[in-house]
Amino acid sequence: MTAGTLTPLPSADLPPPAAPKARGLGERLSPYAYIAPFFVIFGVFGLFPFAFTFYVALFDWNPIGDQVFIGVDNFTRMFGDPRFWNATGNTLSIWALSTIPQLLLALVLAHVLNHARLRFALFFRMSVLVPYVTSVAATAIVFAQLFDRDYGLLNWLLGLVGVEPVDFVQSTWGSHVLIATMVTWRWFGYTTLLYLASLQSVPRSVFEAAAIDGAGPWQRFRHITVPSLRPVIIFTVVTSTIGGLQIFTEPLLIASGAPLTCGAVRQCQTLTLFLYEQGFGQFEFGYGSAIGVALFVMVVAIAAINYLLSTRIKADR
Amino acid sequence: MKLRLPLLSTAAVLALVAACTPGTGGGGGGDGKSFEFWSFSAINQKLTVDAYTAKHPDIEIKLTEVGTSTETAQSLTTALAGGKVPDLVLIQGDNLPQFVEQPQNFVDLRTLGADDIKGDYLDWVWNQSVAKDGEVLGVPTDVGGMAVAYRTDLFAAAGLPTDREAVSALWPTWDAFIETGKRYKQATGKAFTDNAATSVFYQAVNQVSEKYYSADRKLVYSTNPQVKAAFDLGIKAATAGITSGQSSFESAWSAGMAQGQYAAVSAPSWMLNSIRSTAPDTKGKWDIAKIPGASGNWGGSYLAIPKRAKNPQAAWNYIKEMQSPQGQLEHFSRVGALPSTPSVYQDAKLTDAKDPFFSDAPTGKIYTDSLLGLKPFYIGPDSAAIGQEFLNAITNVEQSGGDPATAWDDAVRNIKTAIGE
Repeated sequence: MTAGTLTPLPSADLPPPAAPKARGLGERLSPYAYIAPFFVIFGVFGLFPFAFTFYVALFDWNPIGDQVFIGVDNFTRMFGDPRFWNATGNTLSIWALSTIPQLLLALVLAHVLNHARLRFALFFRMSVLVPYVTSVAATAIVFAQLFDRDYGLLNWLLGLVGVEPVDFVQSTWGSHVLIATMVTWRWFGYTTLLYLASLQSVPRSVFEAAAIDGAGPWQRFRHITVPSLRPVIIFTVVTSTIGGLQIFTEPLLIASGAPLTCGAVRQCQTLTLFLYEQGFGQFEFGYGSAIGVALFVMVVAIAAINYLLSTRIKADR
Repeated sequence: MKLRLPLLSTAAVLALVAACTPGTGGGGGGDGKSFEFWSFSAINQKLTVDAYTAKHPDIEIKLTEVGTSTETAQSLTTALAGGKVPDLVLIQGDNLPQFVEQPQNFVDLRTLGADDIKGDYLDWVWNQSVAKDGEVLGVPTDVGGMAVAYRTDLFAAAGLPTDREAVSALWPTWDAFIETGKRYKQATGKAFTDNAATSVFYQAVNQVSEKYYSADRKLVYSTNPQVKAAFDLGIKAATAGITSGQSSFESAWSAGMAQGQYAAVSAPSWMLNSIRSTAPDTKGKWDIAKIPGASGNWGGSYLAIPKRAKNPQAAWNYIKEMQSPQGQLEHFSRVGALPSTPSVYQDAKLTDAKDPFFSDAPTGKIYTDSLLGLKPFYIGPDSAAIGQEFLNAITNVEQSGGDPATAWDDAVRNIKTAIGE
């Protein structure tokens, strides 16, 4: 083909200008129609209820009785309610007990799974994800039995070495440890894979060069693995914090005698469980919504911290 | 994925439920030949429904076993707030007051002829479903009564009598019950009863003449000496070392019952079914003795018709027939629920009824006796929440090492928070 025999431009074949305008309108609108189902459903089941929660929070709202506007009374009541602060404290305690060991464990595991000479690497990498795909209810039931005071495997083992049985569910720290163990068990594999994926983008030559230069395993971990994972570590800290603020199923299922309060003295009642107890146990919809709003504010605050941290990391580079 | 879904979905449910205004629409509009019936699971309601449809082949009943009594009440609340309501619903006595407070959600059964059958029922049971302007919201289907179920084999091993008369004589009072517990513990080293909160406090507090509310419907839970006395009994039992510290209906409680970890458990009539299904291998090893203290009642349910029901008349026909004295007597023979109609308490079908699971104990007689001379008290909208906090306070002492000296004050403070007083 030579320069002189260029094929005609496609535009030469186009119909007169009026027709593309009509078709263009349909074409311009059709993408919106394609994505409309998601946004309509999101609006009905996500956005509207979300906004409506703020509205309900201003009422003394009895679902089968009167709805009285009370302004911010639900919030004043909440700030003076020891149960709210108890739930907040429990949530933070369970969050700390679950997130920190979980991330450390995942970090070490990812480092090991990324090792060049690891055999059956795929098998191990897939195995860590098994707890994540197990139903959370099944996990909770199994763990509650393992940790049971009278018939639990753990107390049986403790008994073999002469330790008195521990009532995990009924004690504050015990129930927190139990729930944190379940959360860690469920999420560590997911976090490990995130770290591993990020680690694999680090050229192996970097590790090899460090090894040749005499860096031991700990130094390679400390000076290569951790720094190269910094953005994803921040990401997992934030997601597990937001997830940690909303722990619900585990505390609901472990204290079968008093599920909505997670025990007689609310020793493991988290914020979401408190919300559920008030909203759907006591049917105080207004108060329940106010707790939901408070929870939302906390989540937003953490998301904001995330944003600040991640922009700073970008700026550092 | 784990980010905001729980918050959003909770908000979604809240708003969906809240968005609809209650009490819209009137009754009627159905075909009158079929109706929907919401009941609890695990109470064998199907037997009674089948008995009715066998007699009335033209009637179709859609029975839904929603779940526990609490779950049924929660579903009903959601339905009343805006969903599809059943034509007939079973409400447990503890959940009833919150509905009685909002009578506009239900058919006033007087409009269907409730006044004609009122005389058949124990008046204190009937009165619990009467709202402030006299509306009748429910017809009582059964009452609990009270007794203690005990293991004859374990009692024998501890050197205690096993005959139900002799065992009843062991504990005329709750103090004597606790003393018996100490004897049992000393002889066997094992727990005597399942827990103090439910088996002692919750029974004793239902044997009073005035509970959390006074007769004129004022809150008196913190000043009523009868409540305090029951609470102190609960604490005394919790600290006496005679309980196995397992909350009723917990999994460890069920396992403990099957393994004979405790020898006695407080048993309103509906608890017998629970023992049967929890520990089927212990058949014949149980017997039933009188409850310590005075007469009293725990439990019992009501049938109500929501205002927006499509077939209120068909539902009412069912109530009228199946909850008549004879209907309840047949129900007792079928599943053991104690009738709320005193006219059948002398009927041989009830007095001669023996339960082989419980060493042929005359259950009908034991439970109706426990109701004789009962002094009714008012149950208010916050009664369930108050009772729960008292239970929690005793459980805290019993299972979590709470301080018995401050338990009462803690409970009262928690109640004030819970009911927003």
